[in-house]
Order: sequence, then structure tokens, then C-alpha cells
Amino acid sequence: MPSLTRRALLSKLLVTAPPVVEDAGKHTLVCVFLRGGADTMNLIVPYADDTYHRARPTIGIKPPENGSTDASRAIRLDEHYGLHPMLKPLHEKFSEGRLSIVQNVGTDNTTGSHFECQDQMEHGDSMQGSPAGGGWLGRFLRARADKNYGPLSAIAYGTKLPESLRGAPTVSVLQSLDDIALKTPSGDSAAAASALAQLYGADVTLLGNQGRETLSLFERVRSLQSNDYKPSNNATYPKDEFGKGMQEIARLIKARVGLEIASIDLDGWDTHFIQGSDSGLQAARIKLLAEGLAAFDGDLKEHRSNITVMVMTEFGRRIYENSSLGTDHGRGFSTLVLSDKFNGGRIISKWPSVIEETVTGPGGLKIEHDYRSVFSEVLRGSMGLENVEAVFPDFKVAPVGLLG
Amino acid sequence: MNSTRRSLLKTFTLGGAASLTSCERITTALSQQFGQGVPSSLAVGDGVKIDDDFHLLNRAAFGSWPGDWSRLKSMGREAWIEEQLQPESIDNTLCNLRDGSFESLQFEPGNAYEFDKEVLRDEITRHTLIQAVYSKRQLLEVMVEFWTDHLNIDLEKGDCVYLKPSDDREVIRAHALGNFHDLIIASAKSPAMLTYLDGRDNKVRAKSKDVPNENYARELLELHTLGVSGGYTQNDVYEAARCLTGWTVDLKRNLLEDLNLFKPARGVTYFKKEWHDDGEKKVLGHTIPAGGGAQDIERLVDIVCSHRSTGHYLATKLCHRFVSYNPPEALVKRVADQFIATRGDIKSLLRLILKSDEFYASQGQLLKRPFRYVVSALRTVGADTYAHPPLMEYLHRMGQGLFQYPTPDGYPDEEAPWMGTLLWRWNFAFAIASNQVPTVKCNPTMLRKSLDKDTKAQTAKLFAHCIGRHPLETELKAIENLSNKDEMLGAMLASPAFQRC
Repeated sequence: MPSLTRRALLSKLLVTAPPVVEDAGKHTLVCVFLRGGADTMNLIVPYADDTYHRARPTIGIKPPENGSTDASRAIRLDEHYGLHPMLKPLHEKFSEGRLSIVQNVGTDNTTGSHFECQDQMEHGDSMQGSPAGGGWLGRFLRARADKNYGPLSAIAYGTKLPESLRGAPTVSVLQSLDDIALKTPSGDSAAAASALAQLYGADVTLLGNQGRETLSLFERVRSLQSNDYKPSNNATYPKDEFGKGMQEIARLIKARVGLEIASIDLDGWDTHFIQGSDSGLQAARIKLLAEGLAAFDGDLKEHRSNITVMVMTEFGRRIYENSSLGTDHGRGFSTLVLSDKFNGGRIISKWPSVIEETVTGPGGLKIEHDYRSVFSEVLRGSMGLENVEAVFPDFKVAPVGLLG
Repeated sequence: MNSTRRSLLKTFTLGGAASLTSCERITTALSQQFGQGVPSSLAVGDGVKIDDDFHLLNRAAFGSWPGDWSRLKSMGREAWIEEQLQPESIDNTLCNLRDGSFESLQFEPGNAYEFDKEVLRDEITRHTLIQAVYSKRQLLEVMVEFWTDHLNIDLEKGDCVYLKPSDDREVIRAHALGNFHDLIIASAKSPAMLTYLDGRDNKVRAKSKDVPNENYARELLELHTLGVSGGYTQNDVYEAARCLTGWTVDLKRNLLEDLNLFKPARGVTYFKKEWHDDGEKKVLGHTIPAGGGAQDIERLVDIVCSHRSTGHYLATKLCHRFVSYNPPEALVKRVADQFIATRGDIKSLLRLILKSDEFYASQGQLLKRPFRYVVSALRTVGADTYAHPPLMEYLHRMGQGLFQYPTPDGYPDEEAPWMGTLLWRWNFAFAIASNQVPTVKCNPTMLRKSLDKDTKAQTAKLFAHCIGRHPLETELKAIENLSNKDEMLGAMLASPAFQRC
């Protein structure tokens, strides 16, 4: 017979696991990573720059035209830039002053490698200096003054832990809330949980710690489980993994489980080959991104003051199209920030963007903003980051202007 | 085994006309009759440290099938390693009966278009799991997993699902224990790789403004050979891409092209001279003279595979997989030297690693990735499965769906990225131990009886059978507190000790 009652088990878990945190209207930062190096030049289109149209005779987006109903044209944001037509759902967010765009963001990594650049960015490192250890979001959670973490303080939607959350005091990788339960043959999972608590409780490594956190997660999530989630305000999430992920994150936010950092990927941006223009391969990804973000924003309308979404990628692409009608790896890219906390409705950029002709290969966009300056400002405006040095050691932050 | 291969095949043919499920039933009955079940008597070690023989099975095989441990003990580690390094000498009929009906795996890539994507996906993933669980050529399967990550191809990209079965057969499996140079040249010309990394579209036509597509060339240097810090420059990537221009494969055909006898068949790699940049190239300090044509690829692969950095990179990666997340430098250096000395003879690298002191000082230090975890659990309990979807679903949940990794670096071979998967591992452990994974059968009661007739002694021996050492007092107590015997086995498979190898 099990030697521990359920109550005894719970009290045992509470000793070994981090304390369970009640949600106190915490701010949630959702990081959307576009994997593959997104060609953001076709998302935020510099339509007023002739160089753009010359470099992209096939895949370029046509400039907006006054009074035109042509849905293949860019949607005008200001006198220089327009949105890709598939980003239409985000247009009103920009007009409302809630969507900010920073142009020509990037890392100092010159390898042009997806893995190097993703790793560097997720680790919050640079080519100079030694790695700080762990991921930038992991370090933020660990370094901040508030040391109260719950099992759901940080989540990664998907199947593997992103590098950005490595080293976080607690992080759960999950695909659906309904999944988070221990299922055993006898149907009474308390006895099995008790055995696991003892087996993992005696393990002093990372694995033991993860086991204890997993056990406490079961308890935390039990109250949320249901099969009939209905998004608010008629929001409709796209029917794919990204849409599903954004919906699960929204559920957690509404359920006030103390979620602070959520990470989610949208892949398929490595468009070397027949990228398309207003329609095609990349346009389909852009549509997913826009619809996912818009549904999330609509579903959480009543919670908006506590939510920030940031969209990033590892590098932008070259300005010109290649012989396979795609684009190869470049440098600078645009970052999108959707939040009430920033002075949005603006595109932060020098005009026109500068094209590099350097050893790293011609045709990339010259970087104006080190990505760490952007991430710092987003952390400051959303999560109240005070100690930048703890997140990005040996880095001198330059003001980006997101906060006005 | 008390039957010859011929008589076994004969018996099988008798049942050949039956439907698929009865076919599976017959295969199962046969397999058990011919020694693929749980033996009636099983011995385990009783040391407090993981047994060296068990350790070898944990790493150079996907764990111990009931009876494997005793067999290895009686034949000796040296003989076992040599046997495993000659896979063609090991009879694998019983295993091959289980996936013998997977037709799509036998086809040339162009002909694979006759199959539905669903069938192709199903057969190649099931084949991989079935071979890993039942093949007696275990080290071969372990290396197939290694190279499948090293030369990763995602079935979901473009037409890869049609092309991967032949890549698996003619690149990965054909060279898994062969020579590294041969493996890389086969991969460079593989229709699947040419598609996955866009090499098929890498062209520089005369008098055009074509720019080479560097995608494959970059990964060839960064991931397949020298490694990211292997000392190549961006210019080397560009020059390598120039060497590779013109190697292509046609994925679509119209009727006229199909009738053209001078055109290579759909899905077959060929060299398109007019797409090749035939000027002089300079790669990693070597000059490849102009006019090399289709020979440039051979020259390039030879240069990158012979590079000192490639030896170091491969040695590090192998030691990381087989020995430790922080592989001892001295061992890495010996393996790297051997790589250069033997011009990439994979067998001799494995022989060196598996016989090293460093290998036997590394028990229980690695975390099983989900595939190894699932396969080793199935082997430990002597499960009967044909890898139908309910089982494969667990791998997806644990984040290691086969041939599903999107980027060319392959599934990570580290501990941290898999830490979030414990929930699924636990649920798999309890389900498998109580026969609750549909289409997967095991017999824990028989396993217990084979280990000891005395029910009191069974639990500790079952633990030793799973983990390779006697349980600590605390471990035994935690497990024996459970009232349900299936849950006890589940808890063993869910325990931290079984997550490691």
C-alpha cells in the first residue's frame, strides 16, 4: 500500500519544489521566434525605396496606391513603409499605436549560420567576449529581484526547450494543457506520484530537479483542465500548431497561473527557393503569423495591459532575389512589438536603410540596433527589468526609442 | 536458435496469404518460437554499480533484450564488439519478417512517387523503430541513428518524403559502418539531400547573373565535415558552392521528358554541365583547376573530409554520443588521429571508443533521448510491436518524431533540450508496463518468473534487469510501496536511473 496519503505527498512536494505562486496580475512576455531567418523586408516593405524594387523584380511587393483596391499591394504605414498584404490583420494595431516596428536589428554574428545566429541571440551573447551562460530569458528570470517562481512562470510551447529559456529557474515544455496529468494503470495516480517523488527526490542532478518540477506541475494544472475552450471576442486562431500554441498561451494567461514568459516558434522562413511575393510560400507563413497574433490580441482584449508580444528572427535576408527566386542569408531584420506599454504606431528606422558591401557577403541590411538593446528595452517596458548587466553582461545598451 | 533460415522462411511463406494482422500474428508466434521472446530463465548481475557488459549494451545497442546480457557475458565484450562490427555476418531474418512487407522502402526515388505520402511516412518510420528494437545488428542501428542526425533530412520539406527512403537505404545504412568519405559523397549526390538543402537548384549558367545557392555547401562544411569552428571562411563556402553547381535532380516531369531516353529518370541525380561553374576554385587553401566538371565534387569532398578539423569534429561528436557530454580530450585526440590515419574508417573509430577505459568510466552519465528511451524500454520488457501509430505517437509527444527534425543540425545530443519531456516518459512507462499502449504487447508476469520463482526476490531482480545494477535501498522501498506489480515495473522504467544510460 502507498505509505503516503495525497495530502502528505503534496506537502512533501512543496518542500522540494519551488513555492506555488498565485497570480497577481503579472505581465506576460510572449516571444515569437521566426525560425530560418525571415525576410522581413517583404513584411515591412520599404516601398518608397527604388533599390528595393530593382533588387526584387519578381518577389517584390508592389507599392501602395491611393484609392486602389488591388489586394496584392503593400498596405501603407507611412511615407516610406507598408505592410505585406497578408499582415492586414495587424494594420489596426499599428493605427491604434499598439504595434511598434524596429528596423535593421541584428547580431554581430558574421557566420551566416542559422544555428550560430539563433544560438547567439537566444543566449544573448555576442562574437566578442565570453558566453554569459544560459539563455537571455533564463537569466532575466533568475537575476531579477522577485524570486517567486511557479511551475508555469515560464513555458515553451512545443516539444523542446528553446535555448533562450535555458537556465531558467523553472520552465515547462508543453503542447496542451489537457495533457498535463500522470496516468497510471490503477487509475489512482497518487501512489505512482509518491513513488516518483521519492525516486526523483533522491536525485540531486538537473534530472532530479526536473522530476520534482514535473510533479508539482500536475497539481497546478489540474484546475485548468477542460476540453471546451472558447476564445473571447470571436477571436479565431489559425488551425495549425502556431495558432494552437497561441491559444494555449492565452488560456494560461486567462487562468492566472503566474505565466510570465512564453516562448513559441513559427518556422519555415528559410526562403532560398521560390519565396513568392504577395502570395506563395512566404506569404502563407506571413498569413499564419498575422492571424495568430491578431486572434491572440482579440482573445485577450481585456488583459492587454498585461501582455507584450515580441516577434524576432535570427537574421534578415539579402536585399536582392537569387536565381531560384528566393533570398539568401543577410543581416538586419525588423522586430515587431505588440503591447500597450510602448509608444507604438511608429517605425523606428533611418531612411533609407543602408546596404552592406562587406566580407560577410553583399546585400545584407546594415545593422542599426544591436538586438540586445531592443530586447533590453522590451524587458524594461514589459517586465520592469532594472539590472540590464545581469541579462546582457559587458554590453552597453543604446537607446532604441521604443518607450518614446 | 534451433531452426535454419531456410526452414523459417518456408514456414513464413505458408502464412503469407493471410491478411496483414494475421500476418503479424503469425510473425509474432514464429518469432517467439524461434527465440525472440522472453527466455524461461534470466540471470542478472547484483553489483551496486552498472555492470560493464550492461553498459556496453546500453550504449552500443539500444539496451538489453531479455537474454542479451547473459549472452554477452558468456561470449565476452571483445567478441561481441567484433561480431557487431560485421553486421552482414549476423542473421537478422526474424527482425526482417516484421517489416518485410514495407514495399515503399525498396523503390528507387523516382518510383516512390507512386505511393501516398502517408504510406511513405508510415513505412520508413516504422521500419526504423522495428529495426532498432528487434535487429540483432544493434551497433549498426545505433550508427544509423547517429548518421541520420548528422545528415539530417526532414521528410516534411518539399519532396523529401519521396526521396528519403532511398537515402536511408543507400546513404545512411549502406555506409553507417563503412568509410566517412564514401558516406559524404553518397550524401552529396543523394536526391534527398540535393532537395533538402536546395543543392538541386545550385546553378551558374554561362552569361547569366546566377549566384550560387550556398545552402548545402555551408552545411557540408559547418555540420557534415569541419564543424562551425573548423577554420573555414565565408569565401570557402562560396567556392565550395561553385564546385557543386550543376548536380541536380528533376522532381517533376512532363510526358515528353519521360519519353526522352537521354534524360535521367525522375528523382535520379545527374550532372547538368551547362549549370556548372567550370572556372578555377580555391577551397581551404587547395586550388581546384578550371575544367574539372563533374570531378569537382569528388575533389571537394576529398578536401573537406581529409581536413584535420573534420577528424576532430567527428571524433568529438562520436565521443559525445558514446562516452560523455564532456568527452575526455585524450580520447577525442586518439579518435581524431585514427580518423586521419585510416582516412575515415568508421569501424576502427568505434573499436577504439568501445574498448577505451574512458568508455567504461562513463556509466549512467548520458540522458537517453526519447527514441533511445522508448526503444530501450520495449527491448527491456521484450515487447511485441509492429510500431503502429499509438506507439509512434509517444515519440512525437516526447519531441523526437522520426525524420521530423526541421533543421539540418539533427536532434540535439544534449541533456537540457529533453528535460521538458519527463511527463511523457512517465506516462509511456506506466502504459507500457501495463499493456495499455494499443498494439504493443508485453508480459511482465513472465519476465518476473524468468528472473526468479520466488516472488519476494523478483522486484529487486526486475530492477537489475532494467537498470543493470542492484537497486539502492531507497529505490527498492519507493517501488515496493506500490501495490500494483505493473506500476512497479512502470516506476522502474520511469525512474531517473532508466532515463540515463
